[in-house]
Amino acid sequence: MKQYRLRPGRLIAKAVLALAGFLAVFPLFWTALNALKNNVDIITRVPKVIFTPTLANISYILGRDSVLTGLYNSAVACGAAVLIGIVLGLPAAYAVARYPNRFAGDIQFFVLSLRFLPPVAVAIPLMVIWLQVGLYDTLPALIVTYSLLTISVIMWLAIPAFQGVPKEIEEAAFVDGYGAYSVFWRIALPVAARSLIGAIAFSFVLVWNEFLIALMLSSSNAKTLPIVASELSQQGMNVPWGILNASVVLLSLPPLLFLSVLSGFLNSVFRQKKS
Amino acid sequence: MSAIVCSHVDKAYGATTVIRDLNLAIEEHEFVVFLGPSGCGKSTLLRMLAGLENISGGEVSIGGKVVNDLEPGDRGIAMVFQNYALYPHMTIFDNIAFGLKRQKVPAAEIRKRVEAVSRTLGLERYLGRKPTELSGGQQQRVAIARAMIKTPKVFLFDEPLSNLDAKLRNHMRVEIARLHQSLKTTTVYVTHDQLEAMTLADRIVLLKDGVIEQIGSPAEIYRRPGNQFVAGFIGTPNMNFIEATVARNGDGWTLTGAGTVLSLQGGDFHLRHGDRVVLGIRPPDLKTAQAGSANLLQGTADLIEFHGNDALVTFGSGGKEISALVPARECPELRAPVRYSFEEDCIHLFDGETGKSLRRQ
Repeated sequence: MKQYRLRPGRLIAKAVLALAGFLAVFPLFWTALNALKNNVDIITRVPKVIFTPTLANISYILGRDSVLTGLYNSAVACGAAVLIGIVLGLPAAYAVARYPNRFAGDIQFFVLSLRFLPPVAVAIPLMVIWLQVGLYDTLPALIVTYSLLTISVIMWLAIPAFQGVPKEIEEAAFVDGYGAYSVFWRIALPVAARSLIGAIAFSFVLVWNEFLIALMLSSSNAKTLPIVASELSQQGMNVPWGILNASVVLLSLPPLLFLSVLSGFLNSVFRQKKS
Repeated sequence: MSAIVCSHVDKAYGATTVIRDLNLAIEEHEFVVFLGPSGCGKSTLLRMLAGLENISGGEVSIGGKVVNDLEPGDRGIAMVFQNYALYPHMTIFDNIAFGLKRQKVPAAEIRKRVEAVSRTLGLERYLGRKPTELSGGQQQRVAIARAMIKTPKVFLFDEPLSNLDAKLRNHMRVEIARLHQSLKTTTVYVTHDQLEAMTLADRIVLLKDGVIEQIGSPAEIYRRPGNQFVAGFIGTPNMNFIEATVARNGDGWTLTGAGTVLSLQGGDFHLRHGDRVVLGIRPPDLKTAQAGSANLLQGTADLIEFHGNDALVTFGSGGKEISALVPARECPELRAPVRYSFEEDCIHLFDGETGKSLRRQ
């Protein structure tokens, strides 16, 4: 064991891994730290690890109406879009995976092709459509638009997840007397749950961080948090670094919360009740 | 009344016909094995009985009721799958109870029945575990328990032992036989392993290319194979086949082929002068020739496989490889000349064209 560990190849691999891990985690750590600093502590020549923490940035952020509205808009738009994505996308993916017809391949390609397009190519026509319909700069417009993204992403990731459920398990349930819908609920969903959580979480992160479409579809009322956060840096010459960092922290928290809540929720739903 | 009747059953996937005009009646309490090489349609036929495959043509009835359009759950069957197909997210208890829950059986009775079934199969200790925490043999036992608990009219087994190692397979085979003895439930069992078929079956249905080649008890199929395919498929080591030409010789017949001339009484067979036939003889039926033995097959021992009690001697005769299973103490040296003879009542003769047995009924 000791000899094995001392091999240079292994050492180098570990070093590279550690470096990559550091590169990934340190900026997050530093951002979180900076959110607690006064501007003076941020713009020093020598980076400060020890400083007097302040909650001023965070309370400033949380005290602004625009931020709170952005947070609300983001939460509603993304939450609703992901919910619609789950409700429509998962059954659709299951149907394509388990009951393929001659269009199954085309459906899959179409779903993926939605992601080929540069968002801006979609955003401009959508903006025109929503303007015509009279729903421009409203949450419903944003929810519907985001649902297109979440449905396609969830479908695309859930099809292989459902295909990965051994067919015999579902057949055993049929033989046990269950119908197609019960098999979907009681067998396919729980067995594929792990991969499905990933699909759902990914779709959430995608729309939560979405910037361009939100920028095109909102002017004042329906601005999401990424738009609001970006506007914070446009306040004159003096860049409020602390506030920016605090807004980044605020922006990063919901996906983390969402992930942990989601996985906990699915675990509890699908854990078999002890009878 | 027959438990299962298939009449004129067809199965086609698009233009490919998998099963063609199949007729079969399975009696109550019978243990029937579908045997055949892979791709012969035996699993498809089983899945059609189960309702997991559509029936393209014909009619299947179970317990006197036509089931063509019934869902699997309404057919009164239970099935054991090759890879067990346990529900991975449920405990063993829930796996076994899943079918009963669907039937809205009261919880107390479910508990009682699960306990009874798991006692029979020695699973009491594992009821709280998940399938992945069990060994292959235990998982298979859970699958059997899951089938048993529903007290079905018919058990369907789809190659249930082929994922187990050889030793466990023997063990589970005995368990399945014992289970059938005590439950007497009509059973249809699919396998490609002739040992399983021979040891378990009341009757074997031998399939090839979606057509039944022969139906019969294991002894019938072994002793009276209906055609050359059946003869070659059943029996280990494989039957020797020697192409020969028939000639009339006084009261009897001579067969010329593989560098030798054999004379027969031929009373058991339909023979005609000049026919081309295939002579089949099983390796254990070839005996070391004594002085004065008739019907000699001789050559040089090319290959000797030691089996323990016996040895399989392969030799060339007239450009044809022939094997003889002889007691190990009679085993010759490699490349030594060997002479074997056989009794006429051990042989099988098949039509050279159609492969059909020439034996008189």
